[in-house]
Amino acid sequence: MSTENVLHIEHLTMRFGGVVAVNDLSMDINQGEIVALIGPNGAGKTTAFNMVTGVYQPTEGKIFLHGQDITGRRPDEITKLGVARTFQNIRLFSSMTVFENVLTARHLRRTSNFLSATFRLNTAEEKKMRQETEDLLKEVGLSDVKDEKATSLPYGKQRLLEIARALSTQPKLILLDEPAAGMNPQETEELGAFIRQIKDKFHLTVFLIEHHMNLVMDISDRIYVIDFGKQIAEGTPAEVQNNPAVIAAYLGVDEEDEEAGKA
Amino acid sequence: MNNTTKKKADPAIFFSAVVVLCIYAAVFIAEQTIAPTSMLFTVLKKGATYALVAVSMNLLNGFTGIFSLGQAGFMLIGAYTFGIFTIPAAQRINVYQYYNGGIVQFSLPWFVAMLLAGLMAAFFAFLIGLPVLRLKSDYLAIASLGFAEIIRAVFQWDKLGVITNGSNMLNNYPTFNDFNIRNASGKVTVYLSTLVPFIIAGVCIGVIILLINSTYGRALKAIRDDEIAAEAMGIRLASHKRLAFCISSFFAGVGGAMLAMYQTTVQAKSFTTAMTYEILLIVVIGGIGSVTGSCLSSFLFVACSEWWLRFLDQKQVIGTFQVPMLRNGFRLVVFSVIIMIVVLFFRQGIMGTKELPDLFRSQHKKEKEAQGK
Repeated sequence: MSTENVLHIEHLTMRFGGVVAVNDLSMDINQGEIVALIGPNGAGKTTAFNMVTGVYQPTEGKIFLHGQDITGRRPDEITKLGVARTFQNIRLFSSMTVFENVLTARHLRRTSNFLSATFRLNTAEEKKMRQETEDLLKEVGLSDVKDEKATSLPYGKQRLLEIARALSTQPKLILLDEPAAGMNPQETEELGAFIRQIKDKFHLTVFLIEHHMNLVMDISDRIYVIDFGKQIAEGTPAEVQNNPAVIAAYLGVDEEDEEAGKA
Repeated sequence: MNNTTKKKADPAIFFSAVVVLCIYAAVFIAEQTIAPTSMLFTVLKKGATYALVAVSMNLLNGFTGIFSLGQAGFMLIGAYTFGIFTIPAAQRINVYQYYNGGIVQFSLPWFVAMLLAGLMAAFFAFLIGLPVLRLKSDYLAIASLGFAEIIRAVFQWDKLGVITNGSNMLNNYPTFNDFNIRNASGKVTVYLSTLVPFIIAGVCIGVIILLINSTYGRALKAIRDDEIAAEAMGIRLASHKRLAFCISSFFAGVGGAMLAMYQTTVQAKSFTTAMTYEILLIVVIGGIGSVTGSCLSSFLFVACSEWWLRFLDQKQVIGTFQVPMLRNGFRLVVFSVIIMIVVLFFRQGIMGTKELPDLFRSQHKKEKEAQGK
């Protein structure tokens, strides 16, 4: 691993009462990688995301971003440090237009305070924010719908808008929670190309959760597989695909096979 | 009162500015020509005051999604601050007759006192906000309501009488009528007692509109739409909610000072929960999330409750037929029914989330579409 480490997770555990949602998860993500976290439903993938982004405080373990301990920091602080995310169930600002959604995500990079913003002493900054938003929308191909209400967009475009909004916070690491959910095969393929494209364009590191295996195998550099909160495999797509533990987790195991495996 | 946003010359905003200016001109002309005792001016003065408070409440409830019911409390703080610091020193011995003239022995110009009223309300909001803003939805509403009630009791407390005059009223401070320009013999030459409150409210509402359309306003709307997403976009919830709470209270405080000027006397016991509900009603009827709606409905509300329905309180005879049921208090029954009808048929309020410029825009669009066809 010659490249720079972006995200380092150490023995991360999350318990909700008696339920262990994530159990002793450790992982490393390096600069410029696309890393996928996969696992059956309820395996604890989104919980892991929520811990990295500060929504949950991990019960045990530590999270480092560029070597800096961010365990237990607030979500907004973590976003400011360069981690952006999208949501599994789309969470756009429903009253706003596409443009405003993306523009609002620029708020955290402001230098103005509320007085200078109210009395328009920050026009240069505001102009810059608007211009950058305009450019970003062009980049992701949402320019033509920028004045439409975010929630009136078709589903696939809403997903795209979520990614655009996340990009607008100027992240170094972007977490995509099931970006292809509800997309048809063609859209999914386009999304894969899109993720690669933004990764190169914005020098991102991508960490994603996804159920569309074609997409995962196509774009990921490395894959972590978890089941019942525990990591069961890690490796390149080819390695993971042939890992018996992964196949077992996804397809279930006959008892005979299991015994045979042990033997 | 929409004189804002700084995109390229938008005709809709230009038209809106013209409409607002026309309203101000009409108020000025009406004031010079119609007898000052007319109910019209009562309605306009109180309406302007309520419009400001309603917009400030809308900033919180409609634009930030914080359901607070403390408005009357902040108005009370504003009204008292204004009263306490503007009573002329010579009058204090009469006003504070049970407290040896009180301990404040100076007086400030009205606009300084008004600013101070807002700042004082904002300061209290800051303190109250520390614990209260951690609560969610209805719990926050109950806590803020409780705060308003406590404030009302505290201001009537005998021990604070040297400052608040206890449960006695404050009076003899400048009122709206003092804005009229008089000649040497005391005769009014230019009536300004309605225009000045309009200007004060207009400036304040203008500032609120500027805030709403700034990057901070967008952040507040983001919090309203989705707290989790807003936080994930790097918006710090606690500080932004506190900001909205303090600014809203600042303008509620200024509104309280205006109410003090309108009423000519201030007494803590009149700042009841019912007052908060009246303002909440104005916000809901006008449209939660519409500044224009709050302004419009505030004047309609005040006009209905103070003026247009007055005839229902007296015996009315049409020809030889005496209309039944009309007696003192019947006005309120009809008023309630009207409000229920409005709420039933205008779920979104009069304006929904539209603003004045949007009205011109939608017309514009329709015209374009018509031309296209």
